[in-house]
Amino acid sequence: MCELNRRQFLASVAVPGVISVVGTLQASAPSMAIAHYKAPPADADGIAEEARRLTRRAVDALGGIPRFVSKGNVVWVKPNIGWDRRPEQAACTNPDVVATVIEMCFQAGAKKVLVSDNPCNSAQRTFPRSGIQQAAERAGAQCYFMDDRKFRKMAIKGAKILKEWEIYQDVVEADRFINVAIVKQHSLSKATLGMKNLMGVAGGARNRFHQDINTALADLAGFIRPQLVLLDAVRVLAANGPVGGNLADVKRKDIVAAGVDQVAMDAYGATLLGLKPSDIGCVVEGHARGLGNMNFQSLSPVQLEV
Amino acid sequence: MAGKRRTSWVVWLRRAVQTAFLLLFFYLFLRTAYYPINRIGGPVTLFFQLDPLAMLTTWLASHAVAAGMLLSLVTLGVTVLGGRWFCGWICPFGALHNLFTSLRGGRLKARLEAGGYGRWQKAKYYVLAVFLTGALLGVNAVGWLDPFSFLFRSMSTAVYPALNNAVVSLFSWIYDANPGVGPVRVTVVSEPVYEFLRRHFLAVQQPHYFGNVLIGFLFGLVIAVNFYRPRFWCRYICPLGALLGVAGKNPLVRLNKDEEACNNCRLCLADCQGGGNPNTEQWKPAECFYCFNCKSDCPSQAISFGLGKRADPAAIRPVPAASFSGKGVVVK
Amino acid sequence: MIGATIGWIKGFVKPPKEARLDLRRRQLLACGATGLGAAFLFHTHPLGRKRSYNPDLVRPPGSLGEQEFLSKCIRCGECMKVCPTNGIHPTALEAGLEGMWSPVMRMTIGYCEYECTLCTQACPTGAIRALTVPEKQKIKIGLAYFDKNRCLPYAYARTCIVCEEHCPTPKKAIWFEDVQVANLAGEKVMVKQPRVDPDLCIGCGICVNKCVIKGQPAILVSSVGETRNPDNGVLLQSTNPYGG
Repeated sequence: MCELNRRQFLASVAVPGVISVVGTLQASAPSMAIAHYKAPPADADGIAEEARRLTRRAVDALGGIPRFVSKGNVVWVKPNIGWDRRPEQAACTNPDVVATVIEMCFQAGAKKVLVSDNPCNSAQRTFPRSGIQQAAERAGAQCYFMDDRKFRKMAIKGAKILKEWEIYQDVVEADRFINVAIVKQHSLSKATLGMKNLMGVAGGARNRFHQDINTALADLAGFIRPQLVLLDAVRVLAANGPVGGNLADVKRKDIVAAGVDQVAMDAYGATLLGLKPSDIGCVVEGHARGLGNMNFQSLSPVQLEV
Repeated sequence: MAGKRRTSWVVWLRRAVQTAFLLLFFYLFLRTAYYPINRIGGPVTLFFQLDPLAMLTTWLASHAVAAGMLLSLVTLGVTVLGGRWFCGWICPFGALHNLFTSLRGGRLKARLEAGGYGRWQKAKYYVLAVFLTGALLGVNAVGWLDPFSFLFRSMSTAVYPALNNAVVSLFSWIYDANPGVGPVRVTVVSEPVYEFLRRHFLAVQQPHYFGNVLIGFLFGLVIAVNFYRPRFWCRYICPLGALLGVAGKNPLVRLNKDEEACNNCRLCLADCQGGGNPNTEQWKPAECFYCFNCKSDCPSQAISFGLGKRADPAAIRPVPAASFSGKGVVVK
Repeated sequence: MIGATIGWIKGFVKPPKEARLDLRRRQLLACGATGLGAAFLFHTHPLGRKRSYNPDLVRPPGSLGEQEFLSKCIRCGECMKVCPTNGIHPTALEAGLEGMWSPVMRMTIGYCEYECTLCTQACPTGAIRALTVPEKQKIKIGLAYFDKNRCLPYAYARTCIVCEEHCPTPKKAIWFEDVQVANLAGEKVMVKQPRVDPDLCIGCGICVNKCVIKGQPAILVSSVGETRNPDNGVLLQSTNPYGG
């Protein structure tokens, strides 16, 4: 069917295309920025403002959103909307971080911004209770529940274990992919960060990934290749992840990081949970495959105090 | 409709009210799945709170009743005063049976015979008696045959999932097959329609329920028997109807037949819903739904509804036609 | 108008001919006997009368004790419609014939969402009593247990832990023992073998729902330990810091 071939074509073009763009830009602009809030507030409105400012400053430090989104683009913004939890419980991405990313995309002239996720709990609960549905719609994005008809079995180029898997069609048809993940502890993969967040574009029997989680995540990361990765560490889930529920497990780090190298970003995210980058299996695997650099320090990340 | 008479405005009003309540039931059914902040989307259990049968059996069986269900005393009160208006105007299951009954064809003679009272209509009172006795001993199985339970349960486990599947299958087929001519594709129209349906009517996830085949089959059966007898469920089975029949067997609002005007054509039976025998002197208020079809159908305008009895039939003596000019004699 | 009212009131004292329902006394007595007979038969069925409990009869949280539940449930299906995971289904005979079409959780289809109280809001008669979210989170509807013959790290020396990943309790009710086992090639591999903590587990069933092995999952929830039926308990003393 012609649509499947178009997918394969796009995937085969995207990989060298992105690498060359990243390669060129790496020479001139920073590839990673870490924004930290100096005076963290305690009230909800203050935290919302903090999240917005951190997100904006982090992306601006990379050269601004026009580096990643061009006029007329269709952008897929992928937050973590996986769990039926409220924003304070740090199971899903902070809605203000997501809203800011959407606003920036429109400022860069994006034609359409799509926001969705294939969640673990029921979508009609996770989307509104995480606050992301309301925030995304207010920012002008199309936030919708995934349509079962649009999961298509696709050939995953370069995959070692996920040779063919159901991927959501709108994701591969979009022009840009921005990964907006939250930092959380996870018993199997030690942490769930950007690469784990990509599972939300996959359908089918995803619960089988866990039998070889690192290989599966690296396969997925090599296929999707986000143009921009953000890590929401305003609140992190330090224990009993990825679901959490106990507010005592939520820690305020007051950081938002942005970067183009998804392996480096995950390597950095691990440190926020008190782990080493080498502790995260998918980071090691991704580095070994050349998907990125796990020695994020060597990328000279820009450190900002906001 | 019998004859060439125009349908009475009361019948149109009744149909409108029935339709409104049926649509309200469907609307509340759909709202039961709307809950953005862990709060249910409105008074979705309204019909159950209006249901005196559920209130009565729950109270008998468990010696306590949820406060909201006391609303059903209003239904009882209205029925004691006025008769089984609930069955004729409000009950959504009744409206559904009414809808399918009206699809009956058949020759007039067959309809006249079917429209009259059948002695098996007593069965529902016996059914009610069994359930009430069981409730005295803590068994609240009346939910099997309570009309709202039956309708809601059938819809939620069987009918709605099946309809949802049918609609999704249709639009999925169109999406996959992508029919069209050149650049003009059907999906240009079908996808926006599908989005609209998804937003307002379809389930977020296709529901599946164990036990759906039996429940769906019984629902289909109950609807289908309307083609055997009009409003079969309402006449023969419904324990709520039986309860309202007991409560409403001596109503203030009564059917009055002008014996002089009546020529025994029996056309009033053609569309009689409840089987209350409006053509006889023995109109049965416990079976009448106050649908006003008889009043509308009567070519001699002999049937009217009003407070109290218009005439005591035993008091009417046949008088020579020449001795009065009016249509009937009013004897107080 | 007044005459009509007087006539109406008289109608209750001395019912006119057409107001008679014409029910035969003998038939009514027979119906009464049937109702009584059925009730006593139901009463002496082992289920619902504290003699025995069906492990498959896991009811929604907030459900009353079984005897009381059956006296209130009108089998309306509201809870079945509202459950966001499609986890509540009508029983066949799991609750006995008396309980037919009353609600039961089917964890292979759906599960009990941790922060959800919708079924408790939907029940019109209070058979599932209304709960706040904190109240609901302290109620156990059952207890999960592993089928070690099917669970990957026990039976097949493979890693999985999807159950633990999804467990929603603030301190997870599924924990691991890192065990060294031999695989087919004779190599020693470390696998995480999961265990259920009976104090913490509330029986929500998401573990069952997400278990990789469909149809007959490697982890199941049985009704034992359910808060609503104290007789159907298992622990002598609960040390669960979250209550229940």
